[in-house]
Amino acid sequence: MQPAIRLPAKLHRRVCLVLTEDAVLAEELLARKKLAVDVLGRLTDRALLVRPGRVEAVLEELRKMGHTPSVIGKSV
Amino acid sequence: MTVMSPSLRDTWIDRASATLERYAEPLLRGVVTRLVKARMPPPTEELTDRLFATLSNPPVVDRRIRELPEAPRKLLALIGLSHRPDWKVGHLITLLASIGHAEGFGPILHLLQTGLLFPQVAPDAPEITDFEAWLGSAGMLHAKVFALPQVAGRARGEPLGLPDLSQPLSDDAFPSSPVPRFADGLDWPLRLALVWQQVLTMPMRLTQANTLFKRDLGRLQADEVLTTPAADQLAPLPDLGVLAVFWAHATGLLTLKDGELTAAPFPASWGTNLTPTLTELWAGLTALESWDPLIGYDPSEESLSATPSAFFLALLLMSHSAEDQWVTPAAIADWLWEHHPSWSGTIPTAAAAERGHSGIEAFLLGVAYPLQLIEVLPCPDASPLVRLTELGWHLLRGGPAPTPAPAFPQTLLVQPNAEILAYRQGLTPELIGRLSRFAHWKILGPACTLELTADHTYYGLESGLTLAGIIQTLNQHGMKPVPAAVADLLQRWANKRERISVFGSATLVEFQTPADLEAAIARGIVSIRVTDRIGLTDDGREPDFKQLRLIGNRDYEAKPQQCVSVEDDGLTLLIDSALADLLLEAEIVRFADPIPGDPPGLRRFLLTPESLSRAQAEGMSQDDLEAWFSARAGCPLPPAARLFLQGRTLHPWQSTPLLVVQAPSEEMGNGLYQWPATRQWITQRLGPTAFAIAPEQLPQLQAALAEIGVTVTHSEAEHHPDRLITSR
Repeated sequence: MQPAIRLPAKLHRRVCLVLTEDAVLAEELLARKKLAVDVLGRLTDRALLVRPGRVEAVLEELRKMGHTPSVIGKSV
Repeated sequence: MTVMSPSLRDTWIDRASATLERYAEPLLRGVVTRLVKARMPPPTEELTDRLFATLSNPPVVDRRIRELPEAPRKLLALIGLSHRPDWKVGHLITLLASIGHAEGFGPILHLLQTGLLFPQVAPDAPEITDFEAWLGSAGMLHAKVFALPQVAGRARGEPLGLPDLSQPLSDDAFPSSPVPRFADGLDWPLRLALVWQQVLTMPMRLTQANTLFKRDLGRLQADEVLTTPAADQLAPLPDLGVLAVFWAHATGLLTLKDGELTAAPFPASWGTNLTPTLTELWAGLTALESWDPLIGYDPSEESLSATPSAFFLALLLMSHSAEDQWVTPAAIADWLWEHHPSWSGTIPTAAAAERGHSGIEAFLLGVAYPLQLIEVLPCPDASPLVRLTELGWHLLRGGPAPTPAPAFPQTLLVQPNAEILAYRQGLTPELIGRLSRFAHWKILGPACTLELTADHTYYGLESGLTLAGIIQTLNQHGMKPVPAAVADLLQRWANKRERISVFGSATLVEFQTPADLEAAIARGIVSIRVTDRIGLTDDGREPDFKQLRLIGNRDYEAKPQQCVSVEDDGLTLLIDSALADLLLEAEIVRFADPIPGDPPGLRRFLLTPESLSRAQAEGMSQDDLEAWFSARAGCPLPPAARLFLQGRTLHPWQSTPLLVVQAPSEEMGNGLYQWPATRQWITQRLGPTAFAIAPEQLPQLQAALAEIGVTVTHSEAEHHPDRLITSR
């Protein structure tokens, strides 16, 4: 059996990202001014790039909006 | 003897190892020589290994302890009995002074020099050349030292010379039908779990002096659940919430970082057996300084608190009476009053009048009794009598560990209104910790009440629990299965969380083609599809590099670079994949379309009238595009793009039939354009030799030029060097 080919890829490290279930939800988030200022760009219709160092502020705003975001990469 | 978990031993060995790295070589050699007592001096590179090898050899450690003078030996025993390896130097000196060794820093320096004690230093601390100098620089009484648990533990049996305070009691003082009271030991674990939960939902900031801000103090003092009296309270205590916060911090349930207390994972000691949990709480209790059983919250920025040493000694005194004998709190207070160097000075005036009896009684009945360290014999018309429990003897005199209480796994009742009744007899530290992660403690009492809420379900899932795990816990410990309505409710709350995922620091993997991304997903390299070429692992961490050939590496926080070149058509944008960042992907699709069919590795986008209209509709102005091209391509917005952007906003362009007059040379053309007689008939100069004129003006131009002998023919084929030619 031949070993699988190694796929050429480029890494983007330390990315602050919000993924939503659907595009409408992403629109809803972007309509929130306090949150939109911390969004640098929209990678796809449901992937938002967050300004570095502003993840906590985004989380706080999401919670204020009544969302319960799943925070990936921390555990208590 | 308490069994120390291997991980805890390793933690302290690691800390000691890091400390030894700060020792100057002569100091380290001196310590190792005194501890190891080798015939041949060990080589420098083996000094640390030889030290740890000796400290890991129990018979040698026992011998070294026996060789110590009385005061250092007792000091090591005190540390062992506290079950807390690290102590402030000032507290150790106080403890020694209380038991008759007012020798100041001497015993501590002796233990440091023999390698049985270590200074607590920061990783970036300067080199230690001399222990006395280190003490001076580290704050003298406030400096901290630690002993390895396996070393201090072996000194626990050393005699401390404390008196037996039990006295034969008269029949009048002794109750006629004695029924000792014995606590279930759950009150403090429950209260600490509750405060852990509160800090989890709202982290608490401390001042620079590690004291509480007024707002948090008020919140803790007013909290109805935290300040609920214990289920079988024998003595009221002030500021229970404050005590719980600092105690939780001392036991590692809360961690302090950058002035903020946050919830840490429950320690491994919070298992199904209560003894390890209570042992850890006992160890943490001897570290509490900001609380007093009579005063309540009592922070002090300068002086050392008498609380840790006084209450530790109170229990040590009880451990020196005969095992089944009762002691009065007053006898303990009297002894402390006479022997403790600072405790009497910290007691409020009213309590000082009775030599601190009420303070010791409050501590023993309010703190030690619920912690299952002592049992209490209530006496009519007199103060109660106290003696150590089996756990107390185990911790303070090395008695056998108590037999774990029988398990009652089915101790929860989940009600249809999403409340949980938790009967205490079946609660274990493990279950308390687990429930605290996803259910809100509402009532602490003989039967506790918790509530399932959307917020706490969310916190539970955030802490790493799964919905299935939560329901399993409730079913496993429930007297009845979780009601269907409650399971639905939990499912709905859990689903809500799945709608938004936030990655704080993810590694995104960009493949060259969508097919590569599909292959990566199929091979499990990544699991989440972000774009048609970019994916990431489900936990956002780095993928398996063995399956990838890295062709680039970008830090999201690095400054964006120029990574676009514009081709000659002014519309095709070529991406330099090595320099491109994620933001470029997000930016460029707003105003350009990817060109399909490019080979792997080549990324091109095309500016089209439609793509630029789309950008304008989304609010992107020409200025925005100018700025983008300047930053990303290092050139202005291409004219073709300007044409697309501005064309529709201009007046209608005109189309007019014109003749082109061709001069034989640029020089002649300049003359034609300069001479007013001919210039007036020229509509526009098209180039060095080409001029546009209206067809009806041709005769006038021909006439003017005829005057100087130049003929203008109107022929498309004929060419003559001294003639001007017009053509359509």
